[in-house]
Amino acid sequence: MILSQLVISGVATGMLYALIALSMTVGYRATTVVNFGHGDIVMMGAYAMLFLAVGVGMPFPLALALAASGLFLFGFLMQRGLMAPIIAGPHLSLAIMALAVGYALRGVARIEWGNDILLLPRPYAQNAFLLGPVVITMDDLVITGSVLLLLLLLFVVFNVTRIGKVIQAVFQTQRGAQLVGINVPAFHCIMWGAGTTLGTAGGVLLALIVPLTPDMGVWTLVRGFAAMTLGGFGSLHGAVIGGVLLGLMEKLLGFYVSTVFIDISGYLITILVLLIRPQGLFGQHATLRV
Amino acid sequence: MPEPLLTALGVEAGYRSKQILFGVDFTISRGEVVALLGANGSGKSTALNTVSGFVRPSAGSIRFDGEEIAGSPPHRIFRRGIIQVSQARDLFPDMSVEDNLRLGAWVRGAEIEADLDAVCTSFPRLGERRRQPVRLMSGGEQQMVAIGRALMGRPKLLLLDEPSGGLAPVFVGEIAAIMTALKGRGITMLIIEQNIKLALTVADRFLILRDGKVAQGHDVRTGAATEEDIVRSIYL
Ligand SMILES: Nc1ncnc2c1ncn2[C@@H]1O[C@H](COP(=O)(O)OP(=O)(O)O)[C@@H](O)[C@H]1O
Ligand SMILES: [Mg+2]
Repeated sequence: MILSQLVISGVATGMLYALIALSMTVGYRATTVVNFGHGDIVMMGAYAMLFLAVGVGMPFPLALALAASGLFLFGFLMQRGLMAPIIAGPHLSLAIMALAVGYALRGVARIEWGNDILLLPRPYAQNAFLLGPVVITMDDLVITGSVLLLLLLLFVVFNVTRIGKVIQAVFQTQRGAQLVGINVPAFHCIMWGAGTTLGTAGGVLLALIVPLTPDMGVWTLVRGFAAMTLGGFGSLHGAVIGGVLLGLMEKLLGFYVSTVFIDISGYLITILVLLIRPQGLFGQHATLRV
Repeated sequence: MPEPLLTALGVEAGYRSKQILFGVDFTISRGEVVALLGANGSGKSTALNTVSGFVRPSAGSIRFDGEEIAGSPPHRIFRRGIIQVSQARDLFPDMSVEDNLRLGAWVRGAEIEADLDAVCTSFPRLGERRRQPVRLMSGGEQQMVAIGRALMGRPKLLLLDEPSGGLAPVFVGEIAAIMTALKGRGITMLIIEQNIKLALTVADRFLILRDGKVAQGHDVRTGAATEEDIVRSIYL
């Protein structure tokens, strides 16, 4: 009974990690650059939502649409203005550039929101349902449902639409894509923006269940990174499965072994996977270019 | 005399570490097939990549169809009608033959079905394997996919980088037949080819790249140059 309860809440948390890992993977697959500032972008998305919904008082859907578009633009321009000019250079410069952007965002958030602990009010009643002996909260349902919807949407875009074929083509070989006339630098900007938009969705869902702080980006990045590593770096379905497994591991080890595991599972998974099976569950390449 | 389709003048290009092309001049007329010969590492691929925009020239001019294209990015040059089959082929390995071919016409977006049927008719091997992922195909078949994918873009100038390179003898013959057929259809081509015999069968004219410049050009039809002459001017 406790086990099924833990599994339910583990899956709900895991879906959130899956979304964050997936949002990082989209940008990574497009550009082969890991966005080390992604955690802070997720944080920014959450604050943007909070600002628009609470500060300005917009209705929830409008605030969400605006926050998502704003962060898309941010990701697009970040790729265009900061990453693209140095993309031919060493990968380390790109990693540091992304890290610097993340730190800058964190700085802005600290100045603007200081150390206040802010909560995004839920746009739904905080109910809970009993499924046999197991409690399912509205939060679990909203998070799991939203992520499943986004996954379905992405699946359709990738596998059914014409644009999905182009995305897959660029993922498989950028030079090949250029040989058929695809504007690969523009593609980078769009996919980087898509990654930050998905990250914003993750940040908003996260803000429903945990208080916002300017430093939540670190927490987020570690989870996303661990899920990606576990699933296999660069694998889309790997990121999703890795996220769910990470969520389960945190809840199960946290309950049965020690609560410490809720905080250290992410680090632990990253270290163990890199040592024992660097390609993760579904990855093809053992090497990670930072 | 009409303006040539492509005119390269004083083109200099290279990589961060070293310059490879030191003032390359040549022209290609409409409907002409030109072979670019040269020793290994002489810069043939670099020259082709400079025309298609993958390598940015540091000096010189490349005019195509009346417009300056030197320094334009690859996707712009593609849209003008210069389409390249690169040395590594750069196919989409996990996609089927048909998807690879379709992507070749993605930018154009129209009349894809008709062109797809035409390519599958000209390359029966591809027609029989439409659903097969290209990574499971032999080198020769992959080369056909690469050429077919380029044709799907309806090139005004087709650049071929060692189309017979590394292929089994039976495929070298097939590729030669394909190039001859393309020539028969009036497609303008610039071909890099290590197999001089093959190059001379297909080409109207050849250029030799040496020391970063085009050292020599001959009309194949006059029979002025023998194979030995050519080998001598490439290597000696
Ligand atoms: N991407 C690159 N970066 C640096 N040097 C390169 C690159 N590609 C080719 N080269 C060098 O440029 C020279 C010409 O290469 P290439 O144009 O491929 O010759 P070819 O096609 O005639 O064999 C060679 O010395 C090669 O090592
Ligand atoms: Mg070459």
